[in-house]
Amino acid sequence: MKISRNWLDQYVDTGLSDDALAETLTMGGLEVDAFDRAGPSLAGVVVGHVERVRPHPNADRLVLCDVRLGRDGASGPAAQIACGAPNVAAGQRVPVATPGTELMLPGGEENGERAPVTIERTELRGERSEGMICSAHELGIGEDASGIMVLAEDARVGQPLAEHLAARGAVPSDTVFNIDLTPNRPDAASHLGVARDLAALTAVGLRPRNAVVDVANFVMHECGQPLHTFDFSAVAGEEIVVRSAEAATPITTLDGTEREAPPGTLLICDAERPVALAGLMGGQNTEVTRETTDVLIESAYFDPQAIRRAAKALDLSTDASYRFERGVDRDGQVWAAARAAALIAEITGGEVAEGLVDKQPHGPPEPRRLALRPARANAVLGTDLSVSEMSALLTSVGVDVCDEAPGSSGEKFSCVVPSFRPDITREEDIIEEVARLHGYDQIPAPAHVPLPARPPQENAMRRLRRRLRARLAGLGLREIQTNSMLPTEQARRFLAPEGGAKDDVAQTLKPISEAMAALRPRLLPGALAALRFNRNRGQAGLRFFEFGHVFRQTDRPGPTVIPGYAEREALLLALSGPPQPEGWDTDTREADFYDAKGLVEHVLSLLRVEDVAMEPFGAGADPNFAYGVRLAGAEGTPLGMVGKVSEEDAARFDLEADVFAAELRWGTLVEAAAPVRGRRYEPPRQFPSVERDLAVVVAQDAPAGALQHTIEQASSALLAEARLFDVYAGEGVGDERKSLAFALRFQADRTLEDAEVDAEVERIVSSLADEHDATLRQ
Amino acid sequence: MPDAPDAVEQLRRQVEAETIESEEEAEAFRVAYLGRKRGKVGALFDQISEMAPEERPAFGKAVNALKDDAEAKLEAARERLAQEERAAGPDLDLTLPGRPPARGSLHPLRETLGEVTSVFERFGFSVAEGPEIEDDWHNFGALNFPPDHPARDMQDTFFLEKEKNEARVAGEQNGHTEDPKQDVVLRTHTSPMQIRVMENGEPPFRVVVPGRVYRNEALSYKSYCLFYQVEGLYVDEGVSMGHLKQTLSLFARSFFGEDVETRFRPSYFPFTEPSAEMDVWWNDPETAGGGQWMEILGSGMVHPNVLENAGVDPERYTGYAFGMGIDRITMLRHDITDIRTLYENDVRFLSQF
Repeated sequence: MKISRNWLDQYVDTGLSDDALAETLTMGGLEVDAFDRAGPSLAGVVVGHVERVRPHPNADRLVLCDVRLGRDGASGPAAQIACGAPNVAAGQRVPVATPGTELMLPGGEENGERAPVTIERTELRGERSEGMICSAHELGIGEDASGIMVLAEDARVGQPLAEHLAARGAVPSDTVFNIDLTPNRPDAASHLGVARDLAALTAVGLRPRNAVVDVANFVMHECGQPLHTFDFSAVAGEEIVVRSAEAATPITTLDGTEREAPPGTLLICDAERPVALAGLMGGQNTEVTRETTDVLIESAYFDPQAIRRAAKALDLSTDASYRFERGVDRDGQVWAAARAAALIAEITGGEVAEGLVDKQPHGPPEPRRLALRPARANAVLGTDLSVSEMSALLTSVGVDVCDEAPGSSGEKFSCVVPSFRPDITREEDIIEEVARLHGYDQIPAPAHVPLPARPPQENAMRRLRRRLRARLAGLGLREIQTNSMLPTEQARRFLAPEGGAKDDVAQTLKPISEAMAALRPRLLPGALAALRFNRNRGQAGLRFFEFGHVFRQTDRPGPTVIPGYAEREALLLALSGPPQPEGWDTDTREADFYDAKGLVEHVLSLLRVEDVAMEPFGAGADPNFAYGVRLAGAEGTPLGMVGKVSEEDAARFDLEADVFAAELRWGTLVEAAAPVRGRRYEPPRQFPSVERDLAVVVAQDAPAGALQHTIEQASSALLAEARLFDVYAGEGVGDERKSLAFALRFQADRTLEDAEVDAEVERIVSSLADEHDATLRQ
Repeated sequence: MPDAPDAVEQLRRQVEAETIESEEEAEAFRVAYLGRKRGKVGALFDQISEMAPEERPAFGKAVNALKDDAEAKLEAARERLAQEERAAGPDLDLTLPGRPPARGSLHPLRETLGEVTSVFERFGFSVAEGPEIEDDWHNFGALNFPPDHPARDMQDTFFLEKEKNEARVAGEQNGHTEDPKQDVVLRTHTSPMQIRVMENGEPPFRVVVPGRVYRNEALSYKSYCLFYQVEGLYVDEGVSMGHLKQTLSLFARSFFGEDVETRFRPSYFPFTEPSAEMDVWWNDPETAGGGQWMEILGSGMVHPNVLENAGVDPERYTGYAFGMGIDRITMLRHDITDIRTLYENDVRFLSQF
């Protein structure tokens, strides 16, 4: 909302500078966003004294003036300025734009737009000119363009023109304050309202005066009450009524738009037809025109919710609806109508018809009375204000603290709320007024603050996330933050089936851009976009991770917070390009599946998630991965997946290099994690372990994981660890065969005999032979 | 043939005159003087047989002394050479750069989020996190945003589902807070967790809620469709606005530095009354006045309607709440001027944190 300083000054004379006024309003709850000095800037324009006028040697229509500008005292050199105005004469005091001054000079044509021009020291037809003597029109402070502006004879030479004019009360500029009005302050949605608050805050009186122009608009800005004027001759039946539209009703509004008011919209109707959308805009059929001779002024209070609903439904927001939605002064209609009538009569020379129609379907408004408990106010605010202090503060904004409630012995007082404060509806609102007017800065900060006797909680998801983030950064991954929103079609490509027949991506209604039409079902698209962004900027070797929520619409029953939607936190890891930074001796290979899988295994081990089943999958099994493994916890709970991003998806993000990624379900992982806190220390075994290497030859396509599983199953508790340390195919192992070498470590709480270890190994070898056609490598 | 003692003396002078500056010279010295076969010191011993027996002990002693001295000289030289070699370093180009491990980084937004949260954890606040998809009741209704109230315009909301006004109004008026027909939104603030926390427990409540929130706004250098917030709530007996002011001032001093200047001014939020915004004075030598007041957070005393909606008796309990935008604070402290920088994930940006 814009508030004019000049207008404000007509009501309240604070004597404050613009800065101080902005500060006062801001600290009083009317936040001044910004203020601009409107009107021409006269910086650089000073009063000059024309000492001498001589003809210009090379131009008939120009003269050269010696103008004293008050620089360097009276004896300083006079500036030579070329001037073409017919009225310039020696002895005049004139406004001079000195070199460097920026003026908004009018364009060549009549009513041409003004454009900024910087006055420079220049040469005009071979003679130097050090400035410009200006007309009122050129300065933007008057219409006179016929010649230069001649100032009073006693104008002080060298004084800035703005000061000179201000001293004569001819301030050509105004300051416009842009106030960010909060919805609870309809009372301040006008100049008078702001002035009322300003007067209360600065403890000076109001001085109401009047002003001119579009009267209805003027009165609205003056007092906050929107008015509508009808051409009375066009109002059928010479009456208007307010009713709700029963069916969709067409109406052409003042702006020439044909609109359709939905059922329930409040309409102003004459005897035959709707003539206005109540609280929003008038109808064209009864518009006041040049030919209008009789004017009907409508001044109403409308239910704020009704107006807001209509404004939303019609997608029409006006100065009037802005005020009605917030609630106008319940008791201000008659005053505003009478004020407008009087002004119209005064300006147009018309007459105010006698009487006025005042309809109050719900009866006249009752003044609102609220109870205030001073002790409660002090308790909530942490203050120690007396009843009379509170009362004085409240009275200054029109709230009357009338009397003590009977029998309450000073504990409770009754306050009468003025009709222009619809926002004050309960005791807390009164307490807020007390706090605001007392000044928030005056509320004492106590030396001690209470701490409830209850231990603070932190959930496991956050605790483990904090640890893991630091670990992942330590492993050389960069944390990214990607947009949760993306176009619907793109989002759908990342919607993996999870068992719900009707699953779809969660979509927003009326997003401001199609790029925000859906919520991500996976974190992967964000990571791919981040890879593309960096690849396009020449970065290689990208390793990212992100924690974030993923969403879907689903009809699957389950413990969801909002029915119909599934939301969970995910952890994404993504790798592309060399896994090591480039150096003089580094391995320059590209990241592959095992880098990604190794990271995932590392994450599982950091979290102490044990017994994770890893099930490989190939093309077609997942919408975004060409291959990979799915992770499952106890009872097959899905934990996520790691794999190679499909070439189609990579190509859609212009990525030529392979991308490997993991997308893990954070909540499930945390549930499966064994807390480090409760872990019992196991002392290292006292007895030495026995190690044996075992190399077996199997079919080329035999999965190592299956052999590992067989080894673990075949051996007794003596086997402490079986670790794959070599994979070899080629000379010496035969075609279509490969050798897998395992390091086996046996341990017990006693010294192991060679014979029992031999027996263990034998059992393992024979199981491998049975199940995988494995032979010992010779 | 010179006199035997003279020969010892002469050889001694020779030994003393030798300089040993390298391993090769050391070896040459050893061979020349101490060599088993043709060493000059050994050769002196050979003369012993030609001497008168009474001269032999003295001569032998002198030659032995010379031998010890020569050996000592050789050993000292070798020790010195070894030391010089150690000082010169091994046969590696020690100026080659080391093999760098991959360098990771933590995102400044999440770091700021964590820091702000942890300041309040030090003040004894619990931490809770909530869903980003919310229902109308938790995001608006319970927080005292009446239906069809302009306060709802303060936040441009993403709706996932929008029910007819009538149905919603009826639902709220009948107290059907779990009405399945209500609007579904992306939370516009972290405040819904105030309600969820209070619904699921008994006072006192002392909790902060970090998380992502959404606004249906056009992307520009100063607004994004989502950002992070940290919400705080303290509800207990005897909580006052003075406590709020002091707690937030303690936060500002912990987070921005002990000498930070803060101010409190009136504002409006439907869910607090009185409501306040806190500004901190941000030094900036480039602006007129040497800096400016920057709005950091919104706060206030929890509105009694909110307490009632969450089943807390507002006569017995009072409380305060506050909320701050983490993106803005992150931008302020790192001098970032375009909010989109935070979500682009440019490695040249990430690697600076």
